[in-house]
Formats: sequence, C-alpha cells, structure tokens
Amino acid sequence: MTEQAAQALPESNGAAILEASNISKIFGGLVAVNDVSFTVPERGIVSLIGPNGAGKTTFFNCMTGLYRPSTGRVVFNGRDITAKRPDIVTRAGVARTFQNIKLFRTMTSIENVQVGMHSQLRSRLTGMVFHTPFNRREEKQSYEAARELLRFVGLRRHNELAMNLSYGDQRRLEIARALASDPQLLLLDEPTAGMNPQESEELRKLMESLRSERGISVLLIEHDMRVVMNVSDRITVLDHGEKIAEGSPQEVRTNPRVVEAYLGSQA
Amino acid sequence: MSTAVATVRSNATSLRRLLPDWAWAVVFLALAILYPYILDVLIASPDDLLDASISTLGYIIMALGLNIVVGFAGLLDLGYVAFYAIGAFVIGWLGSQQFPDVNGGKGIHILTPAKSAFGSDLPGIHINFFFVIFIAAAFTAIWGVILGAPTLRLRGDYLAIVTLAFGEIVPRIFENSTSGIFGIGHTDFSNGRQGITPIDKINFPWSDTAFKYPLELKPVYYVGLAMVLLVIFFNRRLRDSRMGRAWIAVREDEVAAAAMGVNLVRTKLWAYALGAALGGFAGAFLATYTNTVNVDQFEFGFSVFILSMVIIGGMGNIWGVILGAIALSMMNRYGLKQLNGVPEKFGLDFDVTSINFGIFGFFLLVTMVLRPEGILPSRRRKLELHEAEIEGDVIAREEMSQLYDVRHEQ
Amino acid sequence: MEAASIPESPAARTRKPFGTVILDNILWVLLAAALIIYFVQDPKQTLDDVKTGLSNGTIWALIALGYTLVYGIIELINFAHGEVFMIGSFVSVSLWQTLGVTPDNAFIAILGSMLIGLILAMLASSVLNVMIERVAYKPLRNAPKLAPLITAIGMSFILQNVGLLWRPQPDSSPDLIGSQKDYFKVFGVAIEHSDVFAFVVTVPLLVGLLWFVGSTRYGKAMRATAQDPDAARLMGINVDRTISLTFLLGGLLAGAAGMIYALYNGTIQFNQGFTAGLIAFTAAVMGGIGNLKGAVVGGLIIGVIQSISDTHYGQVWTPAVVFSILILIMVFKPQGLFGEETREG
Repeated sequence: MTEQAAQALPESNGAAILEASNISKIFGGLVAVNDVSFTVPERGIVSLIGPNGAGKTTFFNCMTGLYRPSTGRVVFNGRDITAKRPDIVTRAGVARTFQNIKLFRTMTSIENVQVGMHSQLRSRLTGMVFHTPFNRREEKQSYEAARELLRFVGLRRHNELAMNLSYGDQRRLEIARALASDPQLLLLDEPTAGMNPQESEELRKLMESLRSERGISVLLIEHDMRVVMNVSDRITVLDHGEKIAEGSPQEVRTNPRVVEAYLGSQA
Repeated sequence: MSTAVATVRSNATSLRRLLPDWAWAVVFLALAILYPYILDVLIASPDDLLDASISTLGYIIMALGLNIVVGFAGLLDLGYVAFYAIGAFVIGWLGSQQFPDVNGGKGIHILTPAKSAFGSDLPGIHINFFFVIFIAAAFTAIWGVILGAPTLRLRGDYLAIVTLAFGEIVPRIFENSTSGIFGIGHTDFSNGRQGITPIDKINFPWSDTAFKYPLELKPVYYVGLAMVLLVIFFNRRLRDSRMGRAWIAVREDEVAAAAMGVNLVRTKLWAYALGAALGGFAGAFLATYTNTVNVDQFEFGFSVFILSMVIIGGMGNIWGVILGAIALSMMNRYGLKQLNGVPEKFGLDFDVTSINFGIFGFFLLVTMVLRPEGILPSRRRKLELHEAEIEGDVIAREEMSQLYDVRHEQ
Repeated sequence: MEAASIPESPAARTRKPFGTVILDNILWVLLAAALIIYFVQDPKQTLDDVKTGLSNGTIWALIALGYTLVYGIIELINFAHGEVFMIGSFVSVSLWQTLGVTPDNAFIAILGSMLIGLILAMLASSVLNVMIERVAYKPLRNAPKLAPLITAIGMSFILQNVGLLWRPQPDSSPDLIGSQKDYFKVFGVAIEHSDVFAFVVTVPLLVGLLWFVGSTRYGKAMRATAQDPDAARLMGINVDRTISLTFLLGGLLAGAAGMIYALYNGTIQFNQGFTAGLIAFTAAVMGGIGNLKGAVVGGLIIGVIQSISDTHYGQVWTPAVVFSILILIMVFKPQGLFGEETREG
C-alpha cells in the first residue's frame, strides 16, 4: 500500500491548544515520565509514539487529571489544568479514550454515549424527579445527539450492550463516548489496537474528519506506524520516559535515535 | 433444577406479556387500594395482617431508599438503621411532648390538634405529620451527606465496615443524649432507654381529628400507601435520569466515569442524601405508627433486615426490591410462627421466632451462593455478578485521592 | 532494561519535613498525647487503666490476628470471626459446667480442666472457621467483593442464633482462676490473677504463631499466597489448602481468646462476638491490616483506649469511642501503624 505523501492537509494555524511543560511523574523510586514538554497545535493531529513502557499512557494520565504530575504544568486553552480532577479536565474540553477499553459494559451503546454527555446536560435533580418539560426536552435531545454520534463513528446498533460489541466496535464506541462531552482536544490511547488494516484506515479517516468537520485537535498514542505516518502533523517519540525526538513524520522516521529505540542498537 | 427455573421464568415472561406494562400497573394499584377491603372479606380478623402490612409499607420505602445507595450507586451501606433512627427522632422531637418547656409550657402547634382530651394545652412541639415527614427526610438527607462524606474514597469491605460503625454510633449518641449532646446543654433528646412515647397521631392538616390507630387501621394504611406510591414514582424518575446513569457509571468504573465528566463526589453524596432521606421519611411514619421512638428499635440487625430485602429481592430493580420487602417482612412476622411446630417433630425445644435473624442469615447465604442477583434482578446487576472478573487498571491509592480532590471546584 | 535513574532533579525528595511527618501521624500523636495528659492528671488511675487495658488487649490481639491473617491472604473481612470467638467461649464453659469443676477443686483438677477447655475451644473454633471458609467464601472466590461480605454477614447471624439457642441468657463461667485476687503490685498497681492468666496463655500462642508463619514451610506458603496467589500456585503451593490453614490458625487463636474471655470476664452471652469482633477488627486495622505484629500492638492499644475511656467518659461511651477511632483510621490512615499503602476493595 503506497503511503500518501504529506499532501496539503488542512493546516493548523500553529497556535497551541495544549501546552505541557516539564512534566515528570515519579512513582516511589520509578521515574515513569522525565521532564517532557509538549504542545498540541489547534486543529492539529499529533502522535505520541515509543516502545512499550516508554511512559506514553502515564503522560496521558498526567494530562487528564488521573495522575498528579510530580513536576510541570499543563495549560489548555490558556487555562491551567494541572492536577485538576478528571471530570474538571473533561469539562474544560479535553476528552480521552483508554488503552484497555473502559466502557460501561452493562450499559448499551447509546447509554454509554449519554454518560459521556453528563457534563453537557443541565437538568437538575428537581427537574429529573418531576420530569419537567426542560428535562424531557433535554433527555430527548441527548438521545438524538447520542444516536448522531454513534452514526458518526460508524456504529449502527444503538441498543446493544457494550460488552457484546466486537472489539473494533468497542473502540469506536469509546470514541463516540469521548466526543459526547464536546471536547476541543481528543486524546486517543492506541485506538487502532486490535483492528485490521481496513478498520485502521477507517479510523484514520475518522480522525481527519474530526479535525476538518468538527475542529477538534487530536493527540494520539499509536503503535500502528502506517496510521501514524499518514495522519500526523507532527510526531513526538518517547523512550524510557524521555522525549528523544520530535518532528514531521519524515524527520522522525529517519531519526537514528528513534530507530535505535525501537529496534535496539543493532539496526 | 435450572430447566425448572427456566420454565418458571419463561412462564412468568409470557404471563407478563398478557397485558401492557401500564395495565399491570393499574391492576396492582387497584389491588393495593382495595387491599384492606379484600382482607375484610377474606379473613375473619384482618387487623393483624393489616398491621403487618402497614409496617411493611414503611419497610418498602426504606428498602427503596437503600436500593438507591446499594442498588443504583453500588455503595454497600451496612448502617442504614442510622437513618431510620434520625427520622424517628425527628418526629419524636416535632410530634410529641418531649420538649415540655417550649413556649412557656404551652407548646408549639402547627396544624395539629392543640388540646389534649381534657381540653388543656398540650406541651411540646406538635407539627402536622405531613410536614414532619418532609422535615425528617430533609434532615436525614443532610446526615446522609455528613456520614457519607468520609466514605467516598473507600470501597468494598472498608466502606461496609465504616457504614456499620456509623450505624452503631448514631443510636448510641441518641441513647446518651438525655442531658444535652456530649454533655453540652441539658435538653433530654431521647429519654434514654425508655424512649419517647407517645408520638402524635397523624391528622389531616385541614382537620382537627387525629387518626385512631391502632383501633382504625385503614386511614393510616392509605397514608402509608400514598407515601409508597410517591417514593416509587421518585425512584423511577431517578433511575431513568442523568443521575441514574451517572450512578451506574460510577458503580461500574469510577475512573472512566470521572473521565467522562461525572463529579464522583457529588454523585455519591447525592446517593447517600436521597437514600437517607427515604430512610428518614419512612422512619417518621413508622415511629408514629408504633407510637414510640426507642433506641432498642435501632440495631445492626435492622440494617441487615433492610439490606436483605434489597439483595434477596433483586438489587437495583425497583419491583424486585418491593417484592423482597414484602416477602421478608411477612416472613419475619408470620412465616416463622408457621414453623413453630417443626422443631418439636425433631425432638427439639425452641421458639422458632427467636431464630429469625439466623434464618435471614441463611437466606442471605443461599442467595449469594446460588443467585446473587436476587429474585427479580436488574439485568445489569445480573451481568455484573456473573461476569468473570476483568483485569482492570491498578491505580495506586495516592492517585485515587486525585479523583476526589475538592480543592478546586472549577 | 531499567527505567531512567532518579536524576538530581528537584522532583525527587527523600526526606519529608518534620511537620508533614507529624501531620501524617496526627492520629497516633493525639492518642499518645491523651495518654500522657491523663497520666499526668492521675498517675495511679492511669497506670491501673493501662494494666487493665493491656490484659483486655491480649484477648483483642488474639482475635485481631485472626482477622488480619485472613485479610492478608484473601483480602476479605471474615465477618463471622467474632462468632467463632463466641463459640470458643461457649465450648469451654460448657465443658467446665459438664465436668462440674469449681474453684474449690484441687489445683491439678483445675489446671487440667482449664487446659482441656483451652484445647477444646481452640479445636472447635478452628474447625468452625475452616467450615465457614468452605461454605461461605470458597464458592465465591471469583465473585465481586460484595458477595462474600454478604455471606459472611449471613454466617455471622446464623452462628449468633446458634449461640442464642445454646444459651438464651447470659451465663457465668466458674471462676477457676480466682480472677480478683492479687498476685503482686507493680508501681502500686495491683496485678491480679486474671491479668497474669491472660498473658500466660496469650504470649506462648503469639510466639508460636509468629514462629509458625515465619519459620515453617507452611508459614512460607501462607506468606507467598498472601503476596501473590497466582505466583504461589505456579510454585506448586496448594493455595486452597493454604487458605484453609490460615482459617484454621485464625480459629485456633479466636478459640483461645474465647476461653480466656470466659474466665477473665466471667460472663458469656450469644452476642459477645459482635461487639468483640468490631473491637478486634479496629485493632487489626489500627495495626495495619495484614500485619501480624500490628494486630498484636493494635489489640493492646485498643484495650488501653477502652479502659481509659471507661474511666474518663463512662462505659456507655466507650463503644462509640472505639468505633469513632475505627472510622478515623479507615478514612484517614487505612494502612494503620505498620501496614503498607494497599489497594482498597
């Protein structure tokens, strides 16, 4: 399969929507992330790659409030979100998926997406209990919006239990659920893991349309190099918790340190 | 055995399909309304059964309350009796002669008969029952939040034990508050081991005549039934709302729920608050019905009694819980008496009614081993309980506090 | 492949400032401070309380060990453990009542019957504990944690009812140790027969247990299973049997505690296990659940807290005091004194 050259993708305007500076995460004696600084440009698609154990997911967790960084700051849209609670980070506009799919297994697809909308819905408890017109309207709208999102990611069965979906469908559902919080930045943790080449290609197209149709920036952890090289504006490489390279797909692919990190010093 | 169960289940489902759901609701509602009259027709002295049924109505409300905490939000609460106690004491304070010095001995009367049978002013605070139950619910809800707040980061066994400890402490505090609270002040809040009695009878706000239970049971039955219907409506709305979804999400996967924008602290506290509110709501009702508020009523065994209703009936399923409440309440009252002849046949000599909690224990054991989702399970719970455990992410405890950090709200 | 070494970056801090240490341990600091204050106010009374507390504490220590052993190996609170203790009491007292032994019998007879009482109690309780595991916990090993906790409660209730049927009224144990008589005085505090007795029985049991867990092959199997059951299985350890062994040991200690309690307290009743269980569990948590040394220390500390509370706040408040401490520990310092930070639930 030929690689598409870096054609004129809708260029981001360069302004950073997310700025992470000097992020470190230390667990007891183990330094999982060591002084990593990083930006995601607005409407950009950036990939974070590196061998297993490089600290990529830990870094994600530091961005999204699951871990408190030992050092460093995270600024999103001009707002300091360092070490804020995960639900506050989500409300600020950063959504994510998980490496080991964390869907609500006994809920249906549409219910999963509706939970994703939790921060966007405004019904208060009295409204819920007394089934006010506002509440009824909002519930109906959320249901429709959820269906829309499921369609957008290519899932057709709305009332299927999440645990009964195929692996690829589950990954798609996670994305739909993340999109439900109306984010400006989407963090995807190995979204194509377990997918076949065709599904990966569909996902790549989905990411592009996220950017072009919805103006969402994407930060992606990935192992599938085809996807990474094709979709990324910029790639950052981590190894042993440190940033060892950063640049365009072309630059990174030929960087000797990157090759060494992946293949060992033989290559 | 499983084919027999499957047959029963499929028969039940086909039975259910005979009528649309709303029609079934009408049928049950009609039965519930006509129930006292049906008893009059069928049984020679129906008062005993009606009395048991009225208590059962109170227990149904409590079981539905605990169902919010345990069934919906998945927070194992072993101290629910504390909320019963608080609700009961609220009516003990606001619907009795416990505070005789108020208002110079003339008492405060809000929409209640102000005079005793002899025409003299009744001392103490007397607020109309229909206000008190909501005051009790609100007051208990506040305590639900207070007692729930320390437990937010705990899970599983630890949560259960802490709630149990609270369930033990609260009644003891009441018991020892005969002269102020913790020695502050001099008011007698509980009358110690003797308890507060009598408790005002229910009266409609527009009428000066109080109900006459235990002589006339039908009116108080209907008040209880109205309360139950209100609570069922409340529960169903909650279950199908954004909050209900949030509870299920939190129960399934806290980390994912937080990442989806669910405020874990608020969501769990709401579960405690609403569950507690229903406990207080029913507690006030039962207190006026039994005409007494006494710390002996508030023991750990009661928490387990209500918990059993939720678990054996079907955790998370409103109708299952109601069924469990009725079944266990009636069994507690009647079933054991029926068994009284049995031990003699084995040459043993004991009163079967004294082993009621042993029998509950046995049922709990059997339920969890054979059918943990209960008699009428919620589909979700059944899936959760029978799935093999999935390896989840291990998040160190120090990071768990990140999920509950309340320092910056926005 | 090592991770990057710890750089000399400002992120790594090896020593916490003294202030944080105090704050982290504020609970222990406050308890110690309270003890010191009461001592200064009334040394003799406080010493007496400490003595009573330590004696009582041996009973809690034995029961707490049962909780901690079981939790350490299967991460489950054996809710019925208090009832196992109660049955131990009942068995020994029933034995003595059957034998008709009284304080007036010959010393040899008394000693012999006490010994047999101890052995029988330990036997009954250990067998009971193993049975509980087989019936209520083993079938639910893969179920969510809610399930075995509920069965444990169910088991506890069943056993309490057995106790109720056995002895509907509180019963008294023959005072075989002449519990109120003094032996000698230490710092002006009277040490009674019951105090000596409690220690004389408990210390060998504790030593024996620590030796067993620390030095024998079976103890090693227990520790391995507690650390990582799957790895232990791969090493050829029979995990099921090891778990049963743990319950056996826990039951042994609870049975001994039951026998001591019967003679120390004089009265036994069917629901003594509920309160005792909660108190002992507080001790186990205080010491760090899963930590044997901690369970013993925790037991002694709780005993002292109880007697101080009895003296200064009155017996009616003591249960509330102990339960409040339980809540404080579980919420603020769940690892207790000696435990490590663990996953919860």
